[in-house]
Amino acid sequence: MVDRYAPTSLAAALDLMAHEELVPYAGGTDLMVDEALGRPFVFLHGIEELKGITDNEDSFIVGAGVTYRELLAHPATPELLKEAVAQIAAPAIRNTATLAGNIANASPKGDGALVCFAADAEIVLRSAETARRVPIASFYEGRGKTVRRPDELVTAVIIPKKHLAGYRFEKVGARKALAISRVSFVGLMTIEESVVAHLALAFGAVEDVVARRPAIDAMLIGKTIEAARGAAEEYLAAWDEAIQPIRGRVSAEYRKQVCLNLARDFITCRLG
Amino acid sequence: MHPISQPVVKKDHTEKMAGSAEYVGDFYSTDMLHARFVRSPHPHARILEICYPELPEGYCSVDHRDVLGENIVHVVEDDSPVFEVDEVFYVGDPVAMIIGPDPQRVKALAAATEVRYEVLSAILDIDDSDTVFFDYHYGRGDCEDAFSEADKVYEEQFSTGYQEQAYLETQGMSARYEDGLLTVHGSLQCPYYVHGAIAKATGLPKGSVRVIQDYTGGGFGGKEAYPSFLAAQLGVAAMKVPGKDVRVVYDRREDMEFTSKRHPSRCTYRAAVKDGRVTALEIDVRFNSGAFTTLSPVVLQRGIIAAPGVYHVPSLKVRGRGLRTHTVPTGAYRGFGAPQTFFAIERLMDHIAADLGQDPLDFKLAHAAKKGDPTSTSGIYHYEVPLPEMVDKVCEMSDYRAKRAAYAKEQGRRYRNGIGIALWFHGCGFTGSGERDFIKAVVGLHKHADGTVEVLACNSDIGQGIKTTFSKVVAAELGIPYDQVSYGNPDTSRVPDSGPTVASRSLMTVGELLRRAAARLREEWVDGQEQSVEEHYHEPDFMLPFSLEDFSGDAYPTYAWGVSAIELRYDSLTGANDIVGCWSSFDVGTPIDLAIVTGQMEGGVLQGLGYSSMEQMATDANGRIRNNSYSDYIIPTSADVGELAVSMHVVEFPFGPYGAKGAGELPLVGIAPAFVEAAEQALGARGINHIPLKAEEALEYLGAAQKEAHR
Ligand SMILES: Cc1cc2nc3c(=O)[nH]c(=O)nc-3n(C[C@H](O)[C@H](O)[C@H](O)COP(=O)(O)OP(=O)(O)OC[C@H]3O[C@@H](n4cnc5c(N)ncnc54)[C@H](O)[C@@H]3O)c2cc1C
Repeated sequence: MVDRYAPTSLAAALDLMAHEELVPYAGGTDLMVDEALGRPFVFLHGIEELKGITDNEDSFIVGAGVTYRELLAHPATPELLKEAVAQIAAPAIRNTATLAGNIANASPKGDGALVCFAADAEIVLRSAETARRVPIASFYEGRGKTVRRPDELVTAVIIPKKHLAGYRFEKVGARKALAISRVSFVGLMTIEESVVAHLALAFGAVEDVVARRPAIDAMLIGKTIEAARGAAEEYLAAWDEAIQPIRGRVSAEYRKQVCLNLARDFITCRLG
Repeated sequence: MHPISQPVVKKDHTEKMAGSAEYVGDFYSTDMLHARFVRSPHPHARILEICYPELPEGYCSVDHRDVLGENIVHVVEDDSPVFEVDEVFYVGDPVAMIIGPDPQRVKALAAATEVRYEVLSAILDIDDSDTVFFDYHYGRGDCEDAFSEADKVYEEQFSTGYQEQAYLETQGMSARYEDGLLTVHGSLQCPYYVHGAIAKATGLPKGSVRVIQDYTGGGFGGKEAYPSFLAAQLGVAAMKVPGKDVRVVYDRREDMEFTSKRHPSRCTYRAAVKDGRVTALEIDVRFNSGAFTTLSPVVLQRGIIAAPGVYHVPSLKVRGRGLRTHTVPTGAYRGFGAPQTFFAIERLMDHIAADLGQDPLDFKLAHAAKKGDPTSTSGIYHYEVPLPEMVDKVCEMSDYRAKRAAYAKEQGRRYRNGIGIALWFHGCGFTGSGERDFIKAVVGLHKHADGTVEVLACNSDIGQGIKTTFSKVVAAELGIPYDQVSYGNPDTSRVPDSGPTVASRSLMTVGELLRRAAARLREEWVDGQEQSVEEHYHEPDFMLPFSLEDFSGDAYPTYAWGVSAIELRYDSLTGANDIVGCWSSFDVGTPIDLAIVTGQMEGGVLQGLGYSSMEQMATDANGRIRNNSYSDYIIPTSADVGELAVSMHVVEFPFGPYGAKGAGELPLVGIAPAFVEAAEQALGARGINHIPLKAEEALEYLGAAQKEAHR
């Protein structure tokens, strides 16, 4: 029995995956922690087509084989993504781990996935026969579950650049390096001519999937700064109601409190 | 600084860097048998029956019926069995072992072994404990009088948690019985402790047991007593299958759940204060010993001797108890009982000072003992107590006084800083007369005809650099190049018993014996001849004899001193903190190698910082350790401290080699109280008397302080 494949082209990888259920292995930094894995691996590191970074006018596209180190070194990597990636794990992990792996792993604690949620990124999925783009919010079906079919690979992540300017990233870990987030936060707000043009909050590590609620954010979008200030309490109360934190090494109450503190601080700083 | 302090390349540098050093898990033989334990799932139960699955050819079980000697693992007392017989006392208590060639199969067979139990009621909290393993008392002066005449009496309770040694290499041991000789090698600190334990359990004469220390990936105390258990169990197993290697190397979970860690503590302190001075302390120390006594008596002794801290307080009444619970036996960890009590006394002094409206540092300095003052056990501080100079140094390095004043004022909206400082000692070497009465260390030097010299001692290099420092001392005394002196991993068939690698004793005590041996060899030196010298321990005659009966006399010949200031910056939104800096001054006498000592100091400080906050170890409803992996048990990394600065202050000890004292344990001991003092200032809280201090709690304190400010 073959227990691992190392294809050197995307076509070869997808062809293998069309015939057998394989576990895609990018950096392996999530997989190697997992002791009980039954199925064979398909290694992605030899696939040149997955290693590209494309900086377009309105989007930044990260190939599934791009490592965090490469992202950090790239001049066009958006600051928000850089800031988040720089706090992931430690250099040895970042030398091999990928953004696509972070997203495909479907953990609500993924810092890269959090950024992608806030930015409304799209996931590019390819199989031997098909290609599709899925908004990240629709990519997940729950903790550890995605809409990816067994014959599909994530080939790239498309990050829209439009709203990334006024960002804030916060990560609460148990220590400064090599720490999975206990709570993580991205806030994006753009103000144009004294009106809230865009607002997106996303919270990591609190629910089964990164928490992003465009309907709540819509409460302030389109409002003048003044009006938004007036509605801020109501907005925060809506988040308070919406967030249902998971229990873990830290209490649900703590997680929630931190989320609300960070949200309040972000909103008040931006609206003045 | 003394020329000997000049750093050299460590003796084991090349093999460790090249990866050629062999740890116990690296040995390979085609007929190796692997061992797996069958452990109790209950904290307390009666064993009714052990039913093994059908064992394939080449596999066998091992349990108490196979113990040919006494079913006892000798530590200090003799209460822990090699394998349990009819009762189990904690989750993980070993009942049996399966051994065989395929580790996966061995694991499956161990899991398939059914033990029928009658579950008994378990005691998991020391407050409920009905078994006092040890109950020590000592004191001096008239406490009753002092309390009745006091202007004010303070009473506070303190608690500290478990701490896991988190050595990089897990516990592991290998045994082989052949031609009447039982050879055991593995990851361990104390070859002759292991040697004695095996002889007792197997019934073999001492000459038929050989113990070799393999390269050892860290110990921190965790490989002081526990290897005796593994070695006894494997020795028993090996005698069942003569001619085969039997090995066990723990996985991380097994290691974290079932091997010893630092004693959790609860202490109550009462202080009488008269005219701004602490006149009496009444101290009640309780340690959770877990299910067996193991090292608890000696850990507790050190803990209560350190209980009044560095302070000269006229009247003392100290009680210390080691209490039994149905939890994993606790044991040695760098500091050995002292971090718990130093936490308490330092916090108490801070709180009293604050209540009296005094600066805590000045208050502490005013109470600090000086040369010639009595120690807690009515011994004498025979040598200079350099705390005032060390405090000055730390204040200069950290800007403590200006920061302390600044952070007492209004702070920024989001981030709150605080700074704290602690003063402590570590008694060097064994407590009391242990060296003289029990250890009786012997060392040797063997000079080969070519002029190279081999150190004969059994102290193990567990990363602390003893191979290097022993060699430096011997080379310096002989006046020969460092490269001409060698010290391999100890093998009891070749080296005498120079005592265990514990208590920050190896360099100070054994190193001095080696220096004396070297001085003799130098005098007797004849070129081209093979020569040997031996040296035996003598207690320095300045010491006041120590009595364990009433805890009186010199508990230690001398003391290593520590002062650390720690600055924290708390995030009021998340309760998380940044350790802005930790500035320390340490006196370990002459550093025999400045690079090694600096590494020891920095590492110990980091462990102390972990102990203060991020190292959290909780138990489940059965008293079983829940944080059993490195993703759940968080130890600090170098990224966690902004500025980590260490300065060495040198008060030479005339009875240590070139003036060296004990160094290993010191740096960890007083970090936690400095951390929490800084946290109290930053959080605007008073009376934080426990560690680990969690981010969740910090956030609550911050919330409370904010509400307070609004009112
Ligand atoms: C010590 C340590 C610290 C860590 N710290 C952090 C941290 O701070 N923040 C954080 O977010 N994460 C952290 N992680 C987790 C991990 O490093 C990241 O999630 C990383 O981004 C995973 O990428 P990878 O390439 O290694 O994924 P892999 O382990 O290779 O894969 C992860 C999952 O995604 C699947 N997968 C991978 N690539 C594809 C693809 N192209 N198509 C479809 N499925 C795919 C795999 O099958 C697997 O299920 C840490 C891990 C370790 C071991």
